[in-house]
Amino acid sequence: MSLGLTYDGCNFFRQRLVLSTLSGKRVKIRNIRSKDDNPGLRDFEASFIRLLDKVTNGTRIEINQTGTVLFYQPGLLYGGVVEHECNTQRSVGYYLEALLMLAPFMKNPLKAVLKGVTNDPTDPSVDKLKYTSIPVMKKFGIDGEGLELKVVRRGMAPGGGGEVLFTCPVRKTLRPVQLSEPGKIKRIRGIAYSVRVSPQMANRIVDSARSILNKFIPDIYIYTDHMKGDKSGKSPGFGLTLVAETLNGTFLSAEQVSTPQGQGDPVLPEDLGRNCAKLLLEEIYRGGCIDSANQSLALVYMTLGQQDVSKALLGHLSPYTIEFLRHMRDFFQMMFKIETQKPSEDERKGGDKVLMTCVGAGYTNISKSIK
Amino acid sequence: LELTEQKRHQQKHSGPKAERKKSRKQLGTPAGDDERKRNPKAFAVQSAVRMAKTFHRAQDLKAKKHHIPLVDRTPLEPPPIVVVVVGPPKVGKSTLIRCLIKNFTRQKLGDICGPVTIVSGKKRRLTFIECSNDINTMIDLAKVADLVLMLIDASFGFEMETFEFLNICQVHGFPRIMGVLTHLDSFRNNKALRKTKKRLKHRFWTEVYQGAKLFYLSGMVYGEYQTQEVKNLGRFISVMKFRPLVWQQSHPYVVADRMEDLTDPEMVRVDPKCDRTVSLYGYLRGTYLKNKGQVHIPGVGDFAVADISFLPDPCALPEVQKKRALNEKERLLYAPMAGVGGVVYDKDAVYIDLPGGHVNQQQEEVRPTTELVQSLIGTHTTLDVKMAASKVSLFTGAAALTPGEVEEEEEEEEEEEENGRVWDPETQRERRKAVFTEDDDDDNSEGSSEEEGDEEGESEEEDEEDEGGNKREEEEETVLKKEAKDKTEPKDKQGMKTAPPVKRQKMEEGKEEKEPVVEVPAFADSEDELEMSEEEEGGKGEQESEGEESDLEGEEDEEDGAVEKGDLKPIDSGHCSEEEDAKSKKSNATSKMDEEDKEVEGGELCYESAGALRWKEGLQQKASEAFLRQQRAAPNLRKLVYGIVAEDDGDAEEDEEELGGLFRVSRPEKGKKHRADGVDCSRFDPDAAHNWDLEEMLDSIRDCFVTGKWEDDQDAATLLKEDEELYGDFEDLETGEVHKGKSGKQKDQAKEESDDDEEEEEKLMKVDDETQKNKRLEKKRRLKERFDTEYDDGDVTYFDDLKEEMQKQAELNRAEFEDVDDETRVQYEGFRPGMYVRLEIPSLPCEFVTNFDPHYPIILGALGASEGNVGYLQMRLKKHRWHNRILKTRDPLILSLGWRRFQTIPLYHIEDHNGRHRLLKYTPQHMHCGATIWGPITPQGTGFLAVQSVAGTKTSFRIAATGVVLDLDKSVTIVKKLKLIGYPYKIYKNTSFIKVGCTSCLSSC
Repeated sequence: MSLGLTYDGCNFFRQRLVLSTLSGKRVKIRNIRSKDDNPGLRDFEASFIRLLDKVTNGTRIEINQTGTVLFYQPGLLYGGVVEHECNTQRSVGYYLEALLMLAPFMKNPLKAVLKGVTNDPTDPSVDKLKYTSIPVMKKFGIDGEGLELKVVRRGMAPGGGGEVLFTCPVRKTLRPVQLSEPGKIKRIRGIAYSVRVSPQMANRIVDSARSILNKFIPDIYIYTDHMKGDKSGKSPGFGLTLVAETLNGTFLSAEQVSTPQGQGDPVLPEDLGRNCAKLLLEEIYRGGCIDSANQSLALVYMTLGQQDVSKALLGHLSPYTIEFLRHMRDFFQMMFKIETQKPSEDERKGGDKVLMTCVGAGYTNISKSIK
Repeated sequence: LELTEQKRHQQKHSGPKAERKKSRKQLGTPAGDDERKRNPKAFAVQSAVRMAKTFHRAQDLKAKKHHIPLVDRTPLEPPPIVVVVVGPPKVGKSTLIRCLIKNFTRQKLGDICGPVTIVSGKKRRLTFIECSNDINTMIDLAKVADLVLMLIDASFGFEMETFEFLNICQVHGFPRIMGVLTHLDSFRNNKALRKTKKRLKHRFWTEVYQGAKLFYLSGMVYGEYQTQEVKNLGRFISVMKFRPLVWQQSHPYVVADRMEDLTDPEMVRVDPKCDRTVSLYGYLRGTYLKNKGQVHIPGVGDFAVADISFLPDPCALPEVQKKRALNEKERLLYAPMAGVGGVVYDKDAVYIDLPGGHVNQQQEEVRPTTELVQSLIGTHTTLDVKMAASKVSLFTGAAALTPGEVEEEEEEEEEEEENGRVWDPETQRERRKAVFTEDDDDDNSEGSSEEEGDEEGESEEEDEEDEGGNKREEEEETVLKKEAKDKTEPKDKQGMKTAPPVKRQKMEEGKEEKEPVVEVPAFADSEDELEMSEEEEGGKGEQESEGEESDLEGEEDEEDGAVEKGDLKPIDSGHCSEEEDAKSKKSNATSKMDEEDKEVEGGELCYESAGALRWKEGLQQKASEAFLRQQRAAPNLRKLVYGIVAEDDGDAEEDEEELGGLFRVSRPEKGKKHRADGVDCSRFDPDAAHNWDLEEMLDSIRDCFVTGKWEDDQDAATLLKEDEELYGDFEDLETGEVHKGKSGKQKDQAKEESDDDEEEEEKLMKVDDETQKNKRLEKKRRLKERFDTEYDDGDVTYFDDLKEEMQKQAELNRAEFEDVDDETRVQYEGFRPGMYVRLEIPSLPCEFVTNFDPHYPIILGALGASEGNVGYLQMRLKKHRWHNRILKTRDPLILSLGWRRFQTIPLYHIEDHNGRHRLLKYTPQHMHCGATIWGPITPQGTGFLAVQSVAGTKTSFRIAATGVVLDLDKSVTIVKKLKLIGYPYKIYKNTSFIKVGCTSCLSSC
C-alpha cells in the first residue's frame, strides 16, 4: 500500500481530498475544529465527502465520533450520472471546483447534477466557473461536445434551490500547455442576473458597470438574465459576473453578488455594478493567462500532464494556490519553478506576474477502461 | 528423394518470333509511351470504382506507415544501454560477454558478476547483464533490457528457454533482439552447418520478425570467440537504434550495480533479523524519478525511498572531442560487483583486491592440505548429515551429484527422453528441446542427409499427434538421439577445459557458500569447492584468502571500507539543501522588508497576505524598497511557497507550554488556528491598497487592452513601416519605371552623401554598414518566409503538424532547465535518466542482505501514482498455445505484471451477448477470455504473463498464459449459472411454484 499523509485542521479540506483521490494516497486529517465550540466536520464538508463517494468506487471513509478526525482512502474515480444535493452552507461552486479537477480522470464521462446555492459571496459562482474554468480545461485538451456547465435553475444564497448541470468527457492524458503570453483584452462580456427581484435590477447593474469599463474598451456586452418561476430558486438576490477575453483566449473574471437575504446590509445594484467593474480591473491588474480563481485548477492539470514542460503565467499567487502548491509537493513530489516577471518601466500592464514551470508527473487516467 | 529435372525453357534464336524481338530491341522505343499511343483503351479509366479503390488502398498503405508521433524524451546523455545476454546454460554467455568487454575495453574480466558497464564509443555506453536460466531472472531482465543477445546452441538447436524468453519479451514490450548462434564448430561437414543455420534462422525470424539479425560465432580460439566476429558483433551493438517501449518510457527504473548495507552494526548484532537499511546504486533509466517516491524491487516488495542523491558518473562518456576513436583512458569499465579495478563493493564493506596471479596459484596449491583441516575446524553438522548432503563430481568443473540423484538419475533419463527432454550431464539439468512441426515439413522437402534425418527425428519426437503413425520411426530416433548426445558431450567438455573462469554455481550453492561464519572460507562443505574449477577461484578466492589469513587484515579491510564510505559521503550531493539555503538567506537579510522577515521567521503571514497588505498601506517604505523586493522576488517566492513549511510543525509543537507537568493550557492560538481551521475558500481577495477610482491606477492597466499601446513587434503602425521598407521598392515591368519606397530613397541619398565625404565619416559608415547588413538579412529572411508560405503549404498534413508540435515540445523540454544547476534541477524535474544515483531504502527484510547474490539482478522500478494500491484487475487472457493444459478458475497463478511478480487467484469469465460476464470453470482452449484478479493497480494496456510455478523446469513450456490489462476497478460483477434442484409445491395451469431444497443462496453455489 502506498503511504498515507497526515494533516491538521479543516482548512484546505477539498485540496487534500482531491489530491488524495488523484494520487491514490490515503490521507488522515486530524484536529478538525478540535478547539472550536462546535467541533468536527460541518454539514457542507460531510456533503462534499458524500459527493466524492458518489463519483468514486471503493472509497473508504472513516470519521470518528466527534467528527474531528477523518481518514480517507481513495477508490477509483467512477463518474457516470451523479445527482447531488449540495449543502446550502456553501454554494455549488465549492463542490464544482473539486469536480472540475477530478472530472477528466473518471472511468465514465461525468454527468453531474448539483442542486443547491448557485451564487453566494464566498465561493466562485457557477457563472464564473463557466466563463473561466471551461476555457482553461479546453487548453489542456479537455474539450468536445461533452464539456458543458449549465445553470438550469438559479438559487441565491440562503435558500438555494438552484440546479447546475456539469458534463465532462474523460481523457487518458492531458496536453502540456505553454501559456506565457496573455494577449490584450479584446472584449468584455458579462451576465447580470436577478431572481425574485425586479428585472430592472439587472439593467441598473449593467449601466453602472459599463460606466467604468467604457473608459478602456468599447466592446462590452453584459447580458441580463432574469429567471422566473421554478427556475428562480428560493431566495431573492442579484449579481453580476464580468469576463474579459483576450486575443490569446485568456479569460479573466470578477463577480459580485448581493448580500444574502437577512445577512447584513442590502446593497444597491449601482454600487454592486461599480464594485464588480473595479474587481475586474483588479483582476486585470493581476493579469496572467489564468484567472485567479482557476490557478489551482491549471496547476493541477499541468502536474497531471505527460512528462513535458508546461508553463503558465499567473498573476499574484493567491494564498489558496500557495497552499495548493505545497500539497502538490506532498502528493506528487511536484515542485514548480516559480519566476517573477516584472513589467518594464514604460509598460502599463498591471502588477508582477509569476511564471510557473513544471515537468508533468506523467499521469495517466487509470480509471478509463479499454475494450 | 529423387527430383526429376524439368526441361528448361529454350529461347528462340531464329524464326519470325526471334526476328520480331530483335527488331523491337533495335528500335528501342520507350515502351510505355508507345504502348499508350498504340493501345489507348488499355490505359483508359475502366471503372471509377476500381480507381477509387486503388487510390484508397494506396492511401491506406501510406497511412499505415505512420506511427503516432511521440515527444522525443531521450536525455542528452543517455544511460548505458542494457544488453542482456540470454541463453540456456553452457551456451557461452559469459564467454561472449568477456569477449565483448575485451573487445571494447581491452580488459579481461573473470566472473561476470552483476552488471558490467563499459564505454563502447563516444556516445554510447553498454551495461552487460548475464541472464541465468531461472525464470524469475528472465522475467525481470526482459523488463529492463534494451537489447537482448539471444544465444543459441546450434549443435543442439532451440531450447525452450529461448522461446520462453521470447514470449516474456513480447509481453513486456519487445526490446531489440539479436540472435547469436554458438557451438558452430561442432559441425563436421559444411552442408549440415549451412542447413542448420538456415533452419534456425528461419525459425528465429518467425518468432522475432522477418529479417531479424542472427549472428554466427563460428568457433572458439583459445577459449574465446574469434576476434573478428566479436568485433563485428560489437559494431552492430554500438550502432544499433532502439525504439521506445511504453512501460520503460513511463516508469523510471534502476538496475542496481552496487549494494551497501547501511544498518547500524550494533542493531544487526543484537537482532540479526532486524530490518536493514540499504543503499543501492545504479544508472537511472526510463524517465524522471522524483525523490521520496515508491519503488518496487521484484522479488522483495514495495518500498518507500528515503532519499535519492546523484553521484558523479563512475563510467562517464568521454569529453567532446573531434577524433574518431576512444583512447585507452576513455575505455572505462565499471563493474563494482565483479570486482574490477581491484575494488569489490560487497554488501557491507569494500574489499581491495591484491594484484598479481601468484596469490591465486599459491592458494590452489595450498588448498588440498588446508582444506581438510579447515573443514575439520569448521564442522557444524554430524557426519551422516554431511554424507547425505555430500556430492560427487565425476569430472573437474562438472556439477556434483548427490547420492539421491545418482539413484534416481537412470530412471529419469529414460523417462525424460520420451518427453522430448535431453539430460545434460554437464550442467546437471535436462535440456528441453524446442521442436516444431513446421520445421519437419521444411526438412522433409529439403533433402536427406544423415544429420538432417537426425534432427528430423528429434523434432518429431515431441510431436504427439504424429506419434501413432510413426512408432517405428521413433525407435530409430531414440537411437540416433543418443548418438547425437554422445557427439555433443565431448565437445562440451572440451569447451569446459579451455574456457577460462567458469561461473559459480548459482542458487543453492551460492547460498551455501555464504555460510554464517565469514572467516572460514567455503570449505566447510567441501563439495562446493570440488566442483568449482581451479580458475574460478580468481576474483573471489582472493578476497576469501585475505579474510582467512588473519583477522587483523580483515579488520584493516573493514577500516578501509569505512574510509571509503566516509570519502564517498561528501560526493553525495543531490540532497536538496533547503535549510542551508534558508540560513544563507537569513544572513544577508538585513536589508529586507518587514514583511519578508516575518515570512522567513514565522511563515505565518503568507496565509493572510491580503490582511497584511492592508496594514502596511500607509508605509512609505514600500515604494522605496520596491526595487529591492523585485530583485529578490524570485527566490523569495519560491521560499515562500516551498521553503518554510517544512519547519512549521516543529515550531508549533514547541509552542505548547506545560502547566504543572500534567496539564496543558489550551488556549486558542489565533494565528495558527486561523490557518488550520480557516475557511476553505479559493477566493482571492483584492488588494485593498488599490483604489480604482484614481486615474493613475486606471492608467496602470491601459496596455492590457487592445486599445492600449502595443509592443513594437506587434504594433500595426511599425509593422506597416517595416513592410514599406521591405516591399516598397518595385519595378513596374510594363513601363520600366522604378518605384522606390521612402526609406529606399533616403538610403540612396544617404549613400551619395556618404560617398562624398567618405574619409570623414568612416566610423559612422561602419555602424551604418552593420545596420545595413542586418537589414539585408532581415529582408532576406522575410522574403524566404513569404516564399515558404507560398509554396510549401501545399502538402502540409495533419501528421506533419503533429510531428512539428512534438518536435517543438521536445526542444522546449530540453531547453527549459538546461542552464539550471543540477541540484536545483532535480528538485523541479526529478532525477534525469542517465544520472548515476544512490537510493537509500529503509526497512528492507534482512533476507535481502543475507541472501544477496550479485548474479541475480536487482531492479528498482518506480511506481506511478496509485500504482501502489490494489484493486480488481480485469484482463484479457489467453492460454499459451504451447502450454499443454488449460487453466482452471481459482487455481493460483503467478503473474508477471508491470514490475511485479506475484501469485494470485484468477477468475476466468467470458462476456455474453447481453454484456454480462459469465464465469468459466476453465480457460477456453484456443480463445481469449476474461480474467479478473485482485492485484496491484497497473495502467490499462499493460501486458502480463502467467506461469504456474517458477521453480524447476518440470513442465515442457512454463508460460501458461499471456494477456493484457483492460480495466481497473474496486468491484466486479461476474455471474455464475446456478443449477437449483427443487420440487413443485403448487401447480396452476401453466405455472408452478417451485420449492428449492437449499435454504440460502450461498449453500446452493
